[in-house]
Amino acid sequence: MLTVENLNKKYVSHGSVTSALVDINLRIEEGEFVCLLGPSGCGKSTLLKIIAGLIPATSGRITINGQPVSGPGPERAVVFQDYALFPWMTVRDNVEFGLEARRLPVAERREVSSRLLKVVGLSDFAERFPHQLSGGMKQRVSIARALAVDPSLLLMDEPFGALDAQTRHLLQDELLRIWREYRKTVVFVTHSIEEAIYLSDRIVVMTARPGRVKQIVVVSEARPRDMASADMNQRQREVRAVLNEEIARAAALEEADLMAGA
Amino acid sequence: MADVSYSKSVAAEPAVAEAATRSPRRWMPSRERWLGIATIVAFIAIWEIVYRLGLMPKWAFPSPWKVVLAFQELIANGKLLTNTAASVGRQITGVLLAALVGIPAGLALGASPTARAAFLPLCRLLYPIPGIAWIPLAILWFGVGFTSTVFVIFFSGIWSIMFNTMTGVQTLSGQYTDVAKVYLASPSLYTRRILIPGSLPYIITGMRLTYGVGWRVIVGAEMISSITGLGFLIDDARWQLRPDIMICGMITIAMIGWVSENWFFDWVEEKTLVRWGMRTA
Repeated sequence: MLTVENLNKKYVSHGSVTSALVDINLRIEEGEFVCLLGPSGCGKSTLLKIIAGLIPATSGRITINGQPVSGPGPERAVVFQDYALFPWMTVRDNVEFGLEARRLPVAERREVSSRLLKVVGLSDFAERFPHQLSGGMKQRVSIARALAVDPSLLLMDEPFGALDAQTRHLLQDELLRIWREYRKTVVFVTHSIEEAIYLSDRIVVMTARPGRVKQIVVVSEARPRDMASADMNQRQREVRAVLNEEIARAAALEEADLMAGA
Repeated sequence: MADVSYSKSVAAEPAVAEAATRSPRRWMPSRERWLGIATIVAFIAIWEIVYRLGLMPKWAFPSPWKVVLAFQELIANGKLLTNTAASVGRQITGVLLAALVGIPAGLALGASPTARAAFLPLCRLLYPIPGIAWIPLAILWFGVGFTSTVFVIFFSGIWSIMFNTMTGVQTLSGQYTDVAKVYLASPSLYTRRILIPGSLPYIITGMRLTYGVGWRVIVGAEMISSITGLGFLIDDARWQLRPDIMICGMITIAMIGWVSENWFFDWVEEKTLVRWGMRTA
């Protein structure tokens, strides 16, 4: 179980303090699929990075199974938006990176990477280099790399944001299959309402900057979800209504910034 | 300030669905190749014409053919081989030493702002001193011969590799570091698997420059502080009034420099950066 308590994040630059996240409180259960949804710049990626232990919070507390988080840990893995694969390593070596860091013997690493490459359908590409793969394939490798260290918590930062619509749908289904099979807790950052509704058990809707939790929407429809159904449409309208306000506010803020900054 | 050349972006490359078909990069389109060869032939022809017309005193200006004959002589008496071997041995030793010190130093400078604050001012003071200026001191310290020449190559060459490695580390995408943190990579794994290969475009460029600087400085060093080597061969020919031998030495230097700079380093790039899609051919 992941808890976030009274979390705040402030940035200091040129002597002025900017609030990125204000008073975030979350409780995410084991095996849950939760999306962080919000307008761009609302701090949802920042929140994910704080949970990952990559950047520190200004105040507040994060615990995983009761243990406070003060940095990256073996029970967490991150999938980044632009894949962050190492171009100088083969697909297999990329997948094995976390295991190499854990000093697992080569034979065991091989076994794990072979199994996971099969899971993401890239067995034939093990010896290729990342630049020889399409965007969707790269993100599959990145997911396999994350799964290789067998984390209980999978943190995904707009992982499908850079992909075309078809590849995106394909990977969403693949992710759900993997999630069901491996029983991971997933925290998934997105700015797409459809994606959030299609994937999540719960959607944490965030406000425009500074980011707060505006509302938590429970999506209880059984999977696989038919996005064309009346229920799902209703759900989309509901979330859109909540989010539109924030998107408008984010746009106004951005405009004000540009005026001031110019 | 430093010999830092910016290579193409390391991280951002367009997604390619299929294996990039590698084209043999060294082979120019044939028309361009012929143009290049024609110019070299014309250069030699002009040389011959200048010689025949007697525009230069013949004792100081040999014909191309005479240079060919001198090559034959130097190959037959073994002087070309021994002196080339001496120069190449010093060059390789000096460049390897420069890499051995320069790459770790560059990694440290790139990774640590404290190291930069401490050492960059000193480096910037030493860097502009031409390699040749070290020769008299090198002779005092190490005597005439191998060590002093290697020392000069080392001191001329280390800056390019060091500053380039530093830039490579500084421009490495922060995301790779994030991945290393997420998967709890140790500092040694991070250095081996991420820092060094990630900086390789810059390291290779630095090695090219270091190699070039070394090869250019070695002749001067050997003229002053050595009794073997191609620099010595050229300088010694002065006393024998043998300009043909001087030109033999110069051509040998050009050939070796050309082969190693254009073929060896291209080959290294082909095996690494091009293969990894970090630099397009």
